[in-house]
Amino acid sequence: MPANALAVSPVADIATLPDPSAQKAAVAKLGIADQSLTPRHGCKGPGAAAWLESLGLPIPPQPNSWLPVDGGGLIARLGFTEFLVEGPATLIARLANTPRSAGVYPVLRQDVALLLGGAKLDELLRQTCNVNFRPLDLATRPVVLTSMVGVGVTVIPELRNGQPAVRIWGDGSYGHYLWETLLDIAVELGGGAVAPHSFN
Amino acid sequence: MKIMTCPLNGPRPVSEFHYWGEVRPMPNPATASDDAWADYVFNRNGAPGLKKEWWCHTPSNTWFIAERDTEKDVVLKTYFYEGDQ
Repeated sequence: MPANALAVSPVADIATLPDPSAQKAAVAKLGIADQSLTPRHGCKGPGAAAWLESLGLPIPPQPNSWLPVDGGGLIARLGFTEFLVEGPATLIARLANTPRSAGVYPVLRQDVALLLGGAKLDELLRQTCNVNFRPLDLATRPVVLTSMVGVGVTVIPELRNGQPAVRIWGDGSYGHYLWETLLDIAVELGGGAVAPHSFN
Repeated sequence: MKIMTCPLNGPRPVSEFHYWGEVRPMPNPATASDDAWADYVFNRNGAPGLKKEWWCHTPSNTWFIAERDTEKDVVLKTYFYEGDQ
């Protein structure tokens, strides 16, 4: 467990996994996985972009877009001056331990982080969210900030093995509600809980 | 469903927004008369008409100004605040 990750996932006590064969069947329809323990770092402020750039990170030029980070992970620009970085534990530790410049303020990221994907994803999104993800151009790496079943969330749509998928971050205190509600819908659509590596 | 257009996030259902009151320039408390200051603190203009209002897109915490006709409940335009003008 990296020191800069959450000690316990907000949904650790309810995100139980069925046996691997059931997960394989679920992920084809609609899998939901907990990724809350991925190390992440948040910061905001007028100096945030320059500070992150000085640490060698790429800066998404447009608000509400993201870029991949060397070694795996991503940096998402939320609005104009706020950033969310997920990536290798060494990178996140470096961000946490480097003194911040003037105009850079820490943002506590104790998110519930989920990964949903499968052929029925669009049906779940239509039931839970007011944004139409289908016309988004994934090549522009969009980040969508919206509400899902009443919870404010950050969403990154993508393709995994040719199937639509979304990464979702939300306030960890809503973790139980978000997980249970989305899992209920996923099960109705023939899917269920899966391990994150099931999407690879 | 009512749609409001956030200057940053685009058109969204109005349920994603909070209303934070009319834009009301604050008089200088050092020079304002007691009556002018009391009027600023205690009174609000409830008459329907064209208003400039603070709104916030809550999932992204994006604050902006909406010009809204409160008689017809029609949002005429939305834009970022650029300081007192």
